This record gives sequence, C-alpha cells and structure tokens, in this order.
Amino acid sequence: MAVGDILGSGISGLLAFQRSLAGASHNIANVNTEGYSRQRVELGTRPPQPSGAGFIGQGAQIEGVRRIYDEFLTLQVRSYTSANAQLQSYYSLASQLDNLLADPQAGLSPSLQDFFNAVQGLANDPASIPARQVLLSNGENLAKRLHALDQRMRDLRGAINGQLQSGVSEINGYAQAIAKVNQAISLAQGAAGGKPPNDLLDQRDALIVKLAQLTGVTTVAQDNGMVNVFIGNGQTLVAGTQASVLSVTKNPYDPSRYEIGYQNSDQAISDSLTGGKLGGMLQFRNQVLDGTQNLLGRVATGLALTFNAQHRKGQDLNGALGADFFSVAAPKTFAHSSNTGNAVVGATLASASALTGSDYVLQRTSGGYMLTRLSDNTVTTLATFPGGAETVDGLTLSLTSGALNVGDRFLIQPTRNGAADIAVAVKDARLIAAAAPVRSSAALTNQGNATISAGEVLDSTHAALLNTVTITFNNPPTTFTVSGVVPDPSPVAFTSGANIDFNGWRVQITGTPQAGDSFTVQQNTNGVSDNRNALLLGNLRTQLTLAGGSASYQDAYGQLVADVGSNTYQADIGRQAQETQLAQARNARDATSGVNLEEEAADLVRFQQAYQAAAQVISIADTLFQSLLLALRR
Amino acid sequence: MRISTSQTYQQAISNILDQQAQLIKTQLQLGSGRRLLTAADDPAAASQILGVQQTLSSTTQYQANGNTVRARLELEESALTNVGELLQHVRTLAVQANNATQTNETRAAIAVEVRARLDELLALANTRDANGEYLFAGFQGKTQPFSVTASGAYAYNGDQGRRYLQVGPARQIAVGDPGSTVFQAIRNGNGTFVTAHNSGNAGTGVISPGAVSGTFVSDTYTLSFTQVLSTDPITYTVTGAVSGVVASGTFSSGAAISFNGAQISVSGTPANGDSFTISPSANQDMFTTLKNLAVALETPVSGAAAQAKLHNSMNRALTDLDQALGKVLEIRAGVGARFNAVDNQQDQHEHLSVELQKTLSSLQDVDYAQATSLLNRQLLALQAAQQAFVKTQNLSLFNYLR
Repeated sequence: MAVGDILGSGISGLLAFQRSLAGASHNIANVNTEGYSRQRVELGTRPPQPSGAGFIGQGAQIEGVRRIYDEFLTLQVRSYTSANAQLQSYYSLASQLDNLLADPQAGLSPSLQDFFNAVQGLANDPASIPARQVLLSNGENLAKRLHALDQRMRDLRGAINGQLQSGVSEINGYAQAIAKVNQAISLAQGAAGGKPPNDLLDQRDALIVKLAQLTGVTTVAQDNGMVNVFIGNGQTLVAGTQASVLSVTKNPYDPSRYEIGYQNSDQAISDSLTGGKLGGMLQFRNQVLDGTQNLLGRVATGLALTFNAQHRKGQDLNGALGADFFSVAAPKTFAHSSNTGNAVVGATLASASALTGSDYVLQRTSGGYMLTRLSDNTVTTLATFPGGAETVDGLTLSLTSGALNVGDRFLIQPTRNGAADIAVAVKDARLIAAAAPVRSSAALTNQGNATISAGEVLDSTHAALLNTVTITFNNPPTTFTVSGVVPDPSPVAFTSGANIDFNGWRVQITGTPQAGDSFTVQQNTNGVSDNRNALLLGNLRTQLTLAGGSASYQDAYGQLVADVGSNTYQADIGRQAQETQLAQARNARDATSGVNLEEEAADLVRFQQAYQAAAQVISIADTLFQSLLLALRR
Repeated sequence: MRISTSQTYQQAISNILDQQAQLIKTQLQLGSGRRLLTAADDPAAASQILGVQQTLSSTTQYQANGNTVRARLELEESALTNVGELLQHVRTLAVQANNATQTNETRAAIAVEVRARLDELLALANTRDANGEYLFAGFQGKTQPFSVTASGAYAYNGDQGRRYLQVGPARQIAVGDPGSTVFQAIRNGNGTFVTAHNSGNAGTGVISPGAVSGTFVSDTYTLSFTQVLSTDPITYTVTGAVSGVVASGTFSSGAAISFNGAQISVSGTPANGDSFTISPSANQDMFTTLKNLAVALETPVSGAAAQAKLHNSMNRALTDLDQALGKVLEIRAGVGARFNAVDNQQDQHEHLSVELQKTLSSLQDVDYAQATSLLNRQLLALQAAQQAFVKTQNLSLFNYLR
C-alpha cells in the first residue's frame, strides 16, 4: 500500500465532508424558506482497489444530494391549502353580510318596526298632519335602510368582480412561472444527467401551492420532469412549458357580473372552478349573495305590493281613493348574449305571497317554452306563452315584442332589485289613505235592534263603490230591498251577521230588524277622523303575507338573517376544521421535509469532526512520507 | 417524531393567535354585554331575537295606543259627566216647574234657564279635543256635528262612525261614540211606547207614561173618551190604527187600562171627545226634549184644561229627561268598561314586556360571571402560551457551539 493511497482517501474524506458541511449550511440557510425540502448529501465508498490481499478501500465519494420529500404529504398540503383558502374567502365575505344584517342598528328590523309604529300613530290620530309626516319620513327611512342594505350587497358584488380580476392576473402569473420552472427543470435534469434539480422542484411545488390558494388544481407529472397543471374540471392551465391565459369575461345574461374564462373565448369556466380563494368567492356569490339579495328584495317587494293593495282601498284626507304608497321595482329580464331571435320578454309581479326569491330562466326548446326555477331547477312548461301572458310563482311573463328562436334564453330576476328600487310614492302627507272610502249608518227611525258594521272595502276599483246604497227591510223583515245597486238584486234574503257584499264593499247587519228599518252605505265624505284603513294597514305588520302565506315581513327577514347566519356559522366551523387539517398536513410535511436546526447543529459538529479527522489523515500521510524521505537521505 | 424548527415557531405563534382571537371575542362580549355578536354565533337565536324585538316594539306601541285611548276616553267621560249634570239640573227645574204653586211668570223664568241650558248642551255636544277635532262627529272630526237649522230643528251633521284604536294584537277599543248615539238615539216615552194628549182636549185628564206588561204590539193607538150626557158614565175606547178596537170600558180615574201589552192610566176627568195617543217610542234627541220643556213652560196657563195639558207636557218632558239621563249613564258605563279593558290590556302588556325582556336577555345577553371567568382562563392560557414560547425559543444546540 502506498502513502499516496492514504493521501487519496484523506482528500476524498475532506471533499466529502466539505460537501456535507455545505449541505448542512444550505439547510440552515433555508430554514425559513417556504416550501424548502431539506437536503442530505449522500456519501458512498469509492470503488476499492483490488490487491493480492483483497480489496483496499479508496475513501469516500458523494453519491448524490437527496431531497427529503414525500409526494403524498405535499399533495395533501396542496389540496388542504386550496380547501382552506376557499372556506376562508367564503367565510370572510359571508361574515361581512352576517354582521351587516344582524346589527341591531344597521339591520332592517328597527326601521320596519318604526314604520309600523308610525302607522299605529296615524291610526291614533288620522286627521293629524304631523302623524302623517312621521309615517312618510319613517317610510322613507325604511326605503333608505333597504337601499343601504342592498348597496352593501352591491358593494360585495363589485368587490368580488375586482377580486376575480386580480385573482385571474395572479393565476396567469403563477401559470407563467410554473411553465418557466418546468422548462428550467427539464434543462437542468438533462444537464445533470438525470439528477433531480432539488431546489427547482421545491420552487415549483411552492408555486403550485400558491396557485392552489387561488383555485383548486390537479397536476400530472411528465417523463421529462415537467408537470401539467389543470384547474376546474380538468381545464388545462399549464402544459409543459406552455401556460394558458385566463381572463375575466362578462356573464352572457348580465354584463355587470364577471365570470372567468380563457382569453379569446366567450366560454366561462367559473361554474366549474372550485377551491381556492376564487372558488370561495364564486360559491359565496352563487349560494349566499344572490339568494340573500333576492330574499331582501322579496321582503321589500312583498311589503310594497301588500301595503299598496291595502292603501288603494283607503281614502285620503282630500276624500280621494288612495294611490300606491310605495313604488315597486319591476322584475329584471336579461336576454342571453347568444340569442338569435329579437324577442323582448316582459315580466310583472302578480302576487306577493307566491314570490319565491329565486331567479328563473325562460328558454324556448324544440318542445316548447320552458321556465326553470334556478333555486331547485324545477321546470314548468308554459302553455299559453307567448300567445298570452302566463303567471308562475307570482311572476307574469309576456312577450312584449319580437319572437324567440329555438335555443333563445332569458334570465328573469323577479326580486333582485326589489330592495334597491323601493321608494315612497306618496309625497304629500294628506294623500295617505287612513280612512275607508265608505261608511254605514242605521236610520234613527229604526224600530228593530239590528246594527250595521262599519263596512270594509273588498274592491276599490269597483265603479259604483261610492254610490249611496240603501237597505230597507220588507214586511216581514226576512228580506230587504236594496237601492243603488245595478242590477237590482232585491229582494235579498236576510241572515243576521252574514256578509252583505255590493259595489265592492262588505257590511254585516246583526240583530233583529223590523219592517221598514233602513240602513245606508255611502261615500265617507269629510271622514277625516276615520282610521279604519290605517288599522288595516297596521295589521299588515303581523299578517302572513309572504312565502305562500307562511311569513310576515319580519318573519321573512328573520329567515334571511338566520340563513345567512347559519351559512356563516357553517363556513366558520368548516374553516376551523380545515385549518386544523391544513396545520396537520403541514406538520406532517414539515416533520419529513422541514429543517431542524438542532439536527443541523449536530450534523455540523459531526461533519466538522470528520473533516478534522480527514485532515489528520493527510497530516499523518505527510508524516509517513517525511519519515520515508528522512530515511532515504541517510 | 421529528419536528422542524419552523414548525415549533409556527405552532407557538398559531397557538398564541388562537388564544388572542378567543380573548378578543370574550372581551367584545363583555364590552357590549351581548352574547350574540353576529347571527352566525347562534342563527336560530338571532332570528328569534328579531321576532322578540318585533313583539316588544309592537307591545310598546300598543301601550302608547292604550294611553291615547285613555286620554280620549277621559275627554269623552268629562263631556258626558257635564251632560249628565246638566240634564239632572234641568230635571230638577222641571220638577220645580211642575209644582202647582208656580205661576206663568215663574214658569217663564224657569224656561229662560232651560233655554240657557239648551245652549250649553249644544256646546257640549260640539266639544272638541286638543287637535280641534269634534268629539261627537263620528268620522267627520272637522265638521261641527250639531247645529240649529233655519226651522229651529237640531240637525246632526256627523255620521255613525266610531274610531277604534289597536291596543293589543287582536284587541281594538272604541275611543268615542258618535253624536247620533249619545244625543239622538234616545227612545222617548217609557222606551217602548209614548203617551200624548190631544191638544184639543177640554177635560182635566192626565195620562201616565204607562208601563209594558207582556209584549207590546207595535201600533198607534187612540184612547178616546165618550160621555154623551154629563150624567152618563165616562166610557173609553182604545183603537189601534191597525189592530182596531182592543179595549173599552167605563172610565175610572187612575184605574189601569190594559191592552196589547200596554198598561196606562188616566187621572182627572176627561171630557167627552177627549183623546190620547199611545204610539211606539221613537228616537228623540236631547235638544228637542229640552226645547219641548221650554216651550211647555213658556205657554201661559189659564183654566183647569190648560193646567192638565201642562201636566201632560211636564210628565212627558220628565220621562224624556229620564230617558236621556239613562242614555248618558249607559254611554258612561260603556266608557267605564272600555277604561277597564284598556287597564287590563295595559297590565297584560306590562307583564308581557317584562317576560319578553327576560327572553331577550336570555337570548342575547352575556352571562357576566361566566364570561369573566372565561376571560380569566383565556388570559391565563395566553400568558402560558407566550411564556412557553419565550422559554422554548431559547433552547438551541447552537448556544453551546462556541
């Protein structure tokens, strides 16, 4: 054995431990680098030298630099990151809505209560102009509160549009970066003879996790070290070194609503995007925001329609019949951008209680005209449309002009703008209809004990509503004669307490009349102190006028608040669970791939000692060589 | 298990952040006094709270309405008390005037006072409330309800409307009575029929107001007396316009004459051909009652026949006054019943308010004892997490590599 061999082994050790030390210092330097997987310098023995005595070791050499990495754990972190980001963004949006609606000052409830208390105030003092002014201003406040709530939802919608835009440009940035790293990896791998470029791989994984924060991704590894990245239902985002470009497109019905699609394509892929921040926003918009805005609109529209209907049955301080108290938003219709026909579809509201709060799509198919309720995808075949108007769920559809071609579609939003467009139509306090337009009286000469009820209005549009009608009992008083009703229904059989309906009003005569007794129903001239209609308006507060006669205004609003609250609550629970899962997945990944400084410190000590020992070997080889030279000099 | 260095930091930080978030929430709850900060904290309770608040708000409104009802009823009550006292006073005057010691002059003086009372009554019937609305005009609060027509009659210009106020979710209470009910719809006579003398009577017969015995058959009857010769007994015949002759017999002063459910008597001595009518009661307003009294008192009396006519008129006026007083009492009883109803309703509302406040408090208010102890625990946990972090982050092998 030669001294040179010892020297060679020593030097190989020096080099190997130098590399190991370099590896440890690389790990230490990257202790805080996101997505970094610790690396280990793998050492092996150099091929031994055969000799007569057997193989003689030649020292150590570097086999490679291994990246401590678990594919499964990395995938888990990525998918949990995506799910977590989705729930976070969903939760943060939903909680904004939740805070807004439930706030005792900002919510609808206080102004709704104040409004109906003002109706009671009017009923207490119907001739008082101040009481009427209070009702008007409380009505305005109620409308303003609805506007403000709706505006906040519009703001959220606008914020989502803006974030979709910035999200899309972020996605495009990451896609470009991933494509570039793909290329770098493929080049590096080729140059290194197939050895993995560890730091580039980490860099790519980190980029994919960043992408997953925006939207859910799936990846497929290629042979050349590259990965292809897919979003949504398998739409390609990165194919090798090629990155697709996404862009914000406009909804084909409603151009103010942004969607996500590919550049240079009208096709939106938003519906298939799940996961990530964008997925959360889209989910919030579809599942919470649209519905909440519709339901708030339904409260506003329902209130306006029912209050108006009762108000029209009243009489104002000038003695005229009441007009609409609130102005109501008409349903919005949107034609699909790909429609080929020239149809204009009109929609009006027919009934407050039948409104559902859903949006609808009207489509002409080869089988006819179909109306789809989007909340549950119930399809109704329209039988009379477009020849005549057709009413479904309180919504009356008619063809205003033109015609639909097969495949043409319209989106109809019956109550989306309800809260935004409600306004008080009555501008003059005298025009509030607190009185009923008719009153009844019994003749003072009546001998019987029968009494007549004050009267209520059934149909304020009846042409003869205000005509004076006299009811005179015949002999025997089991029937009565009516004057002032065309055609003359006399004689009419009398039943005590039964409804007597003529000319759009209703009274009851109770008791035992005598022959010749007479009762009169006539216009309520000068009836300024009458509060009958105000009482009926006040009763609307608790009447079940909405949701098919199952909810009052307050109930419907409370339901909406509870819905948003429970959505937010669910999101919060899901978010917390997801956070824990993500933390666990990160822990699992870090437990494998993360850098531990203690470990590195120990390695440093170990490699330093080994390095010192290898240096000692060189020193000994030198001594051996010197002693040999010394011996020869003699 | 292997732990990475960044993990230890992250774990510690996220622990501290969690503790902080919980602490802030408890702090907010304590600061605001509300357990429910948003609907998401308890969606079911949040919706329940809205419902309770609505009931509470409407209950407060019903209480305010109840106070309005009380105020208006007090106004009506005071007007009615005045009307009652006035009628009582007029009745005293009538009794006084009916005394045989009165002369034409003294009666005229009393008549002057009755006229003055009549004007006062008209003013009471036209009472207005603080807003200038007439109390007894039905729905036509801005229209003066009672006025004197050119012919001297008393006209009612209001209607029969009654204003109701909502004092409970299913309870409305009338806050007034129309003038027609209070001042006009008063049955004259004894309430079922009315007796009257014929103005041409020559005798001294004075007819009683009569009483109902059995069922009065509604008809206009004429009681006529016949005495052909002054020595003949006086006979009477009662003839109904529809019923025909229903009773006849020999007259005896003060004896009851009964027919078709009516029982009357005539005292004094009617002359041949004298007659009285018994007709079903009709409504007669208070003003007319007072006016008739004044007219009777203003008519000078001379002779027994005229004295009898005055007696008849005074009897009639007294029964009508009694009817009017009865009416006022009846209306006041109604007002009293409504006072009671409002009071009951107010009591119920107060009780309900307390219950609702309790429910609301249990739904949304924070339990301070619980929250304070939670706050202490959370403070402790946060401190522990911070201390643990500070202690462990000093531990490193590098400290010894020197």
